[in-house]
Amino acid sequence: MASTAPTRKAMTGKAVARAPRDTAHEGFLNHKRARWAKVAGTLSLVALLSYMLTDPTPRHNGGTWLGYTLGSIGAGLIVWLSLLGVRKRVIGSKPFSLKGWTSAHVYLGLSLIVIGTLHTGFQLGWNVHTLAWALMMIVILSGLWGISLYATLPEKLSANRGEVTQQQMLEAIRTLDRQLDLAAQPLGADDAALVRMSLEECRIAGSLGQRLSGNYASDGNARALAAIGEKVMAGLRSGRADERLQQIQFLLERKEAALAQARRHIAMKARLELWLYIHVPVTIALLAALFAHILSVFLYW
Amino acid sequence: MSFIIRQLTKRADGGDIIRTRTLVQAEISIGRGTDCDIQLPDLAVMLRHARLVRIAASRVSIETTGGVPVEVGGKFVTRADVDLADAPAVDIGPFRLSLSEGEDGAVAITAERVIPPIDTADATQEVSIFSLQGAMPTRRRLAWVGALVVLVGLLLIPLVHFLGEGRATLPKDMLADAARPVAPGQAFGDGKLRVPTARPAATGGFAPDEVWSSGPLSNAHASLSNNCGACHTQAFVSVTDSACQACHTKAALPDHAAPARLANGRMPETGVMAAAHSAFNLPQGRCTSCHKEHEGEATVMTVAEQFCTDCHAGLKGRLPDTAVANVPGWAKHPDFRATLVASPSLTQPVFARTALAGARERSGLIYPHDIHQSATNAVANMARKQGFRLASDGSLPCSSCHVPDADQLRFKPIDMEANCGDCHDLAFARDGGTLRTLPHGKPAQVAGIIRDFYLSQAVAPRAGVQRITFDRRPPGRMAEVEAAQLRLASIGDAQARARAAVADIFTGKGLCTDCHVVTVTGAADITRRFAIAPVTINDHYLPQGRFPHGKHKSYDGKTGDAACVACHTGITRSKAATDVNIPGVTNCRECHGAPAKTLLANTAKAGDSCDTCHGYHDGVAPAGVLPAGHGGGARVAAAGHRASVARAAGFGS
Repeated sequence: MASTAPTRKAMTGKAVARAPRDTAHEGFLNHKRARWAKVAGTLSLVALLSYMLTDPTPRHNGGTWLGYTLGSIGAGLIVWLSLLGVRKRVIGSKPFSLKGWTSAHVYLGLSLIVIGTLHTGFQLGWNVHTLAWALMMIVILSGLWGISLYATLPEKLSANRGEVTQQQMLEAIRTLDRQLDLAAQPLGADDAALVRMSLEECRIAGSLGQRLSGNYASDGNARALAAIGEKVMAGLRSGRADERLQQIQFLLERKEAALAQARRHIAMKARLELWLYIHVPVTIALLAALFAHILSVFLYW
Repeated sequence: MSFIIRQLTKRADGGDIIRTRTLVQAEISIGRGTDCDIQLPDLAVMLRHARLVRIAASRVSIETTGGVPVEVGGKFVTRADVDLADAPAVDIGPFRLSLSEGEDGAVAITAERVIPPIDTADATQEVSIFSLQGAMPTRRRLAWVGALVVLVGLLLIPLVHFLGEGRATLPKDMLADAARPVAPGQAFGDGKLRVPTARPAATGGFAPDEVWSSGPLSNAHASLSNNCGACHTQAFVSVTDSACQACHTKAALPDHAAPARLANGRMPETGVMAAAHSAFNLPQGRCTSCHKEHEGEATVMTVAEQFCTDCHAGLKGRLPDTAVANVPGWAKHPDFRATLVASPSLTQPVFARTALAGARERSGLIYPHDIHQSATNAVANMARKQGFRLASDGSLPCSSCHVPDADQLRFKPIDMEANCGDCHDLAFARDGGTLRTLPHGKPAQVAGIIRDFYLSQAVAPRAGVQRITFDRRPPGRMAEVEAAQLRLASIGDAQARARAAVADIFTGKGLCTDCHVVTVTGAADITRRFAIAPVTINDHYLPQGRFPHGKHKSYDGKTGDAACVACHTGITRSKAATDVNIPGVTNCRECHGAPAKTLLANTAKAGDSCDTCHGYHDGVAPAGVLPAGHGGGARVAAAGHRASVARAAGFGS
């Protein structure tokens, strides 16, 4: 009997099932038709209305019944939101997909702006309580920044990279280094020192500031190129063009171009990563501040 | 003279390639240039870096030619002589030349790259270049640092401070201030309990646990801002009443009612709130249930009306024997029941709370307000002749008798000599330049003085003594009448005249009977023959509330007497002291709680919260039937009713 059941089902005309939505290419922002956006929006609206429709004496703050309710919801959300770091390390766990989890993380995280701020009753000061609120806001805003970066940067990253891998970018620079090294062998000490500047004092990525600003004017290759360029020009003006130096200049220029592409790549990747260097450590600091906040409130009740 | 040169090159797979040459010459050149005998292909090496000369059988001299030194035995030198037996090593750039004695007395030189070239394709380099790992501390380290800073600075250090702190010391000046008893009703409205600017923080500077403060303290408590332990005495226990009462003693700030009655009268909490308050050990009725701190400036005194109506809306249901009517809110505040004199007495007057409608008061006094407030009658004429301050219409102003007290709350007690005596003087004779007067409130003395006056005139008559009559007499005959009074024929005549004069004073028109009820006792002793009914003048009709008259000097644009009469409406027509002219609650509502006259303003013209009129910490209110003395020893009665005992002493029958 059991084996005939599917056959019979197929015969009822329901064999042609409705095509499922294409969820594979649906981002976490639109997950399940933005279900979590609706949940978070409702939550924020209810919190806002409760805040506006109640009139505690002497004023709104974290110590009213609404304040404690919002605070409890907020603290629960903060702990759950920070667990994304744990969840993403567990591959393929059910019942909630990582995408759904991320979607909820983003939208519920945004609703925390409303819930957390209403919990304060706009009573801010130089204390551990406001610190927790400020850290929470930094975490949320950095997350918002991260989402905006994820929405725009990968496309640019891909366009800049062409078909080249990171490894190939480094290989191109190294090849040019070897060519420079060879081409510089016949040069005198002064010229050789300039080439060594390019070979030894060239930092592809450099400091955090350089990565973000893209200003590498003080880097070895740029300085070497400037100096060699001047020498070549001087040679041309005096009519005694040095072909070896011209060859070096050509190689330095090619290296500069290869560096520029790699550095654009690095600049974008730095921004893609930097928000997490704020988001994650500040989250941990927030959990500490939240603990201190709650403990101190009940300690000095 | 030969050199054996061996150049070692590392292969990609790790093996070595060794190329050996033998040069037969006196010296060899070393450098990057292709024409050198030993070519060292690295840009750190000069084109012609050095030369090597054999100077003895086993000694070699090395000398730089490009000015860049070489390293021999750890020292940078431009020239060095070395012994081949020592197997010397010469470092030029990344290369090392190892010298030794070769076969057939040749100099063996092994050239080998000892520092690898920079371009080692390393997978770890890709990570450090293309990710932020190469430019920043790891996120984990950042997280540890941030969390530790927060936990140590904002939790551990304040916690150590809290645990190490002994019993908090309370500032002496604040203690003295808090121990000052508060007058009934003073708590609210008059601003006297407000501290206009924050008290400065106590000496001792910043305390680590201040970072736990949830907001600025009220001005009154601001000097405790670095002394958390003054109120937060126990960890995880909400600020207790005993912490408040360490300064605010019960003597200074008594209970609202007996604690048991307070507990019974309170509306029991139900549902989530009750569960939450019970779970977190927050019973009802604590000081902090109403007074919220850390809300800045004056907010510790701000209490919601709801806190009062929570109990008073349905008090009768929970406390059946209460004398207090249910008050669901200002809009439904029951009408006042005035506290009236029910039975005047010099020592034990009895008061009773009575509904205003049709209320009569038995003060024992005869006093018609109407004739005293006329602008045209004999009273007005007399006031003008005496040069009194008059109202604009020529009548006596209210304030000529009702003088505001120091707090501008109510009025000084009515005093016969001060308020009535200017017109109702008790002069009875002229004795030379002296006007002889009778004492008020001492009927026995009065009879004695009159008797003695007549007797002395009979025994030893003095010229220039004149009796002043209280009778009305025809104009122009006054001197004749007065002269006749003192023509005393004998002692018996004097006694008869004295008896007649005493009877006239006590029962005749124009003196005692103007204001008092006099009864004839029939006693043979003339000093006991007449008794005056006791008088108790009420001076606080609504003692449970508080009406600062000084704040109500103008009413609806009216000032002066017009403002008084605007509320005490019937007073100018009042013919008897039994009339009660206390306005009802509707009168108050004309301003209090009423919308402002301007458009778009939704604030009331005047406050309508309970504390506008009522205090909470006024002491235990009298319950049930009011006993004599209007509440007995309770503070309300003591302060509210400066009973007329002192004034009336001696009136006894």
